[in-house]
Amino acid sequence: MKHGSIFFLYVSQYMKTRLTYRVDMLMEIMSDLLFQAVNLIFILVVFGHTNMLSGWSKDEIIFIYGFFLVPFAIFGAFFNIWDFNERYIVKGEMDRILTRPVHSLFQIILERMELESLFGVLTGIAVMIYAGSHLDLSLSWYDPIVFLFMVLGGAFVYAGIFILLASISFWSDSRTSIMPMMYNIGNYGRYPVDIYNKVIRFVLTWILPFAFVGVYPSAYFLGREEWYGYAFLTPVMGAVFFGFAIFMWNIGVTKYRGAGN
Amino acid sequence: MEKVIDVQSLRKDFKSHSSRSGLKGAFRDLFTRNYKVISAVKDISFTVNEGEMVGYIGENGAGKSTSIKMLTGILTPTSGIVRVNGMDPHKEREKFVRSIGVVFGQRSQLWWDIAVQESFRLLKKVYNVPDDVYNEHMNHVIESLDIGPLLDKPVRKLSLGQRMRCELAAALLHNPKLLFLDEPTIGLDVLVKLKIRNFLKEINEKYKTTILLTTHDLTDIEALCDRVVMLDEGQIIYDGELAKLRSNWGEGKQIEFQFGEQVSGEQLQPLLKELEAEWTKGDRENVWIANVVNEEHVISEVIGRVVAANRITDIKIHEISTEEIIRNIYEEGMRNG
Amino acid sequence: MGKYIEMIRVRFLMMLAYRTNYYSGILIYSINIGAYYFLWNAIYGGKGEIEGLSVIQMTTYVAVAWMARAFYFNNIDREIAQEIKEGKVAVEFIRPYHYLLMKTMQGLGEGIFRLSFFSIPGMIIVSLIFPIEFSAAFSTWMFFVIAIILSFIVNTQINLLTGVMTFFFFNNDGLIRAKRVVIDLFSGLLLPISFYPGWAQNVMDFLPFQAISYIPSMIFTEGFTGSAVWEAILFQLVWAVILILPIQALWVIAKKRLIVQGG
Repeated sequence: MKHGSIFFLYVSQYMKTRLTYRVDMLMEIMSDLLFQAVNLIFILVVFGHTNMLSGWSKDEIIFIYGFFLVPFAIFGAFFNIWDFNERYIVKGEMDRILTRPVHSLFQIILERMELESLFGVLTGIAVMIYAGSHLDLSLSWYDPIVFLFMVLGGAFVYAGIFILLASISFWSDSRTSIMPMMYNIGNYGRYPVDIYNKVIRFVLTWILPFAFVGVYPSAYFLGREEWYGYAFLTPVMGAVFFGFAIFMWNIGVTKYRGAGN
Repeated sequence: MEKVIDVQSLRKDFKSHSSRSGLKGAFRDLFTRNYKVISAVKDISFTVNEGEMVGYIGENGAGKSTSIKMLTGILTPTSGIVRVNGMDPHKEREKFVRSIGVVFGQRSQLWWDIAVQESFRLLKKVYNVPDDVYNEHMNHVIESLDIGPLLDKPVRKLSLGQRMRCELAAALLHNPKLLFLDEPTIGLDVLVKLKIRNFLKEINEKYKTTILLTTHDLTDIEALCDRVVMLDEGQIIYDGELAKLRSNWGEGKQIEFQFGEQVSGEQLQPLLKELEAEWTKGDRENVWIANVVNEEHVISEVIGRVVAANRITDIKIHEISTEEIIRNIYEEGMRNG
Repeated sequence: MGKYIEMIRVRFLMMLAYRTNYYSGILIYSINIGAYYFLWNAIYGGKGEIEGLSVIQMTTYVAVAWMARAFYFNNIDREIAQEIKEGKVAVEFIRPYHYLLMKTMQGLGEGIFRLSFFSIPGMIIVSLIFPIEFSAAFSTWMFFVIAIILSFIVNTQINLLTGVMTFFFFNNDGLIRAKRVVIDLFSGLLLPISFYPGWAQNVMDFLPFQAISYIPSMIFTEGFTGSAVWEAILFQLVWAVILILPIQALWVIAKKRLIVQGG
C-alpha cells in the first residue's frame, strides 16, 4: 500500500514541523473551539425565546450541530484547499506537483493538511453526548458503524464540493471569492431543512448537498423516521459527489495552463 | 542510437482573455469575455538521442518553458506528437515522471521547513526507490555535490548555491535517464557554477544521462553542450552543433585599435578599401573596432595598413562570443522575419 | 491633513481595481442574510414579537447589520501584524505621518468603497427578495449615519489594538482570529444584544462591542426610540474616546522597544 505509507510519512513530517511551533498550534485549536462555542451560544440564546424550531427541539438542534462538527473537522483536516487557486495555480506550484509520480490531488491534500482541525471530532462527539443524554437516545451495537459511514459520507460531500470548486481554477485563474461563499452556504446544512423554502431545500439536497453533512444523517440517530430515506442516502451522496469531483479534477489537470501565461 | 525525446509538429495555443476598461466594461466582462488565441509553440519538431547534452535557448517568451512543460507532462499539447522515454508524457504522467528528473531554478522541489535529509526521505518514498539502490547512488551524488554537511539543515536556512546543489541531488534521487534543467545556475557564483557543471558532466558520462538544459547563461552551454536548439517566437530557428553555429555566424574577428590621437570615421574608411571589413566605433574615446572576416591575410593587411597610417597605443583581437552570435541571430531573425 | 485624504483616495482606487471580487461578495452577504431570514422566521414561529422586535424588524436588523459590516469591517489588524513581522514598521516610524492614523485612513478608503459598491446595491437587492422595512423619518437616517461612523471608529480602534499587540507576541494570528469571532458574537451581528439573558447583557454593557453592530442596526430598525437613541450614541462616543488610551499607550511602549532592540 504505497499511498498509505506516503501518507504516514507526510503525517510524521507534519507533526515534526508543527511541534516546533507549539504555541501556534494551541492558539489555532483554541480559536477553533471559540468558533464552535459561538455557534453553540447562538443556538442556546435563540432557544431562550422559543421551544421548537419547525418541530425540532433545542437538544435535537444541538445534536445536529454536534454531528456536523465531526465530518466538518475531517474535511478541515484534509480537504480544506480553499487557497488552491492562489497557491498552486497563480504561483505555479502545480508545475512541481505534476512532475512527481503520485496523483496530483493526493499530493495537494498531503501538503495542505491541517491535522489540528481533527480536534473538532472530539468537540462534536462531546456535544452529541451532551445533547443525546437529554434526549435519552438508545444506541444499538451497529450504530457506531452507521455513524462511521454517515461521517465519511458527510466529509466526502464537503470534500467533493470544494474539490469541484478548486477544479474551476484549471479553466479560469481569475480571483473569485466563491470558496468563502461555500463556507456560508455550508452553514445552512446545520439547521433542519424544513425551515427553508422549497428552492433552497432542493439546492441543499441535490445541488450543493450540505444537508447531508448535518441534518439528514443526524435524523437517523434522532430516530426521525420521516427522514430515514435521506439519512441512508448520505454515504451514497458522499461517494457520488467525491467521485464526480475527482473525475472533473482529472479533466481539469489536462487543461492546466501553467503559471505566468 | 535510441531516441530519448521525439517531438513532431508540437503545438501549444493559449486562449488569452482581455478585460474591458471601466465600470461598464467590468459588468460586460461578467457575461461575455473577449479572448484571442496565442500560439506559444508553433509546430516544432526535433529529436534527442540517449546521452546527449542539449542546450535549449531562446529569449523570454520564445516558447522555451511552454515546450519544456509539454515534454515533462505538465501541459497538454494542443496538437502534435511528443514521445519521451517511449511514453506520452501527459497521458501516462505518473509512470512517465519516474523516468525523468526536473530542476526549475526558480522553484524549489524541497520542503521549506524540514531538513534536506527529510525531503530526500519523502522523495525516496514518493519515487519508490529501494534502499540499496538509493544508498549506492545517492552516496555518490551527495559526495560529488559536496552536500553531506547540509543534510540536516532545513532548506530555508541554506544559501542559494547550497540549495541549488540539494535541488539537483533531489532531482537525481531516482536516477532518471533524462534530466530537464531550467535555469539551474541562475544567480549562482562562479565556483558553484563550476561545481555543478563538473557534476553534470560526470553523471552524463557515468550513467549516460541525457540532459536538456535551458539557461540565459551561455557559458553553461558552451561548457556542457555540443548541440543547441534555438527557439524564437515559438519556432526552432537553429538546431545543430554549437561549433557549427560559431563557424557559420561567428566567422569574423574583431580588431580593436586604441589610437594615440583623435581620428574620424572618414579618415579611417579608406584604409579598409577592397577588404571584407568595416569599422564600428568603440565605447571608449579614440577606440575603433574593425570587424573582419576570419582570414589571415585580411587580418594582417588591416593591421598593417592601420599601423602604417596612425599612431597606435594598443591592439586587441577578439573572437566573437557566443552571446554576440546569438544576439546577432535574433536581430537578424527579427529583421528578416 | 491632505496626505491622509490622499490615502483614502488611493485605497479607494485600489479597491476599484479588484471590483470583480465584490460581485460575488454581494452574493455571499445575500446568502448569509437569507440563511438568517429563514432561521429567524422559524424562531418566531407564530409569535408577533420577541424582545420588542417584530419579525420584519428582525429581518431588517439582520440585513442592515450585514450591510453595515461591509462598511466598518477591515483587515488592518492583519495588515499591521504582517508589516510588523516583515519589519516594515520601522520604516514607517521615520515617515512624516502617524502610522496608525494612516492605517485608519486606508480602512476608511476601503469602507467608503464597499459602502458605495457593495452595501448600497446589496441592500437594494436584498430588499427586493426579503420583506424589509425602511424608515421614512429623516432623523432615523441621520442618527444611523452618525452611528455607523462611530461604529467604524470603534471597530477600527479594536483592530489597531489587536494589530499593535503583534509587537508583544511572537505570533498574533490566533488572537486576531479570536477577536473576529468575539466581535461577531458580542457586537450584535448574529444576535441582538437584547436577546441575551439579563446577566450577559449587564456584562456587555461594560464592553465596547455592541457599539459596532447592535447600536446602528437598532437605530435603523427603530428598535431604539427617543432618549434611547441619544444614550446609544453617547455609549459609542464614550468608547471611541476611551479606546484611544490603550492604543496610544501600547504604541508608545512598542516604539520604545523597537528603538531599543533596533527592530
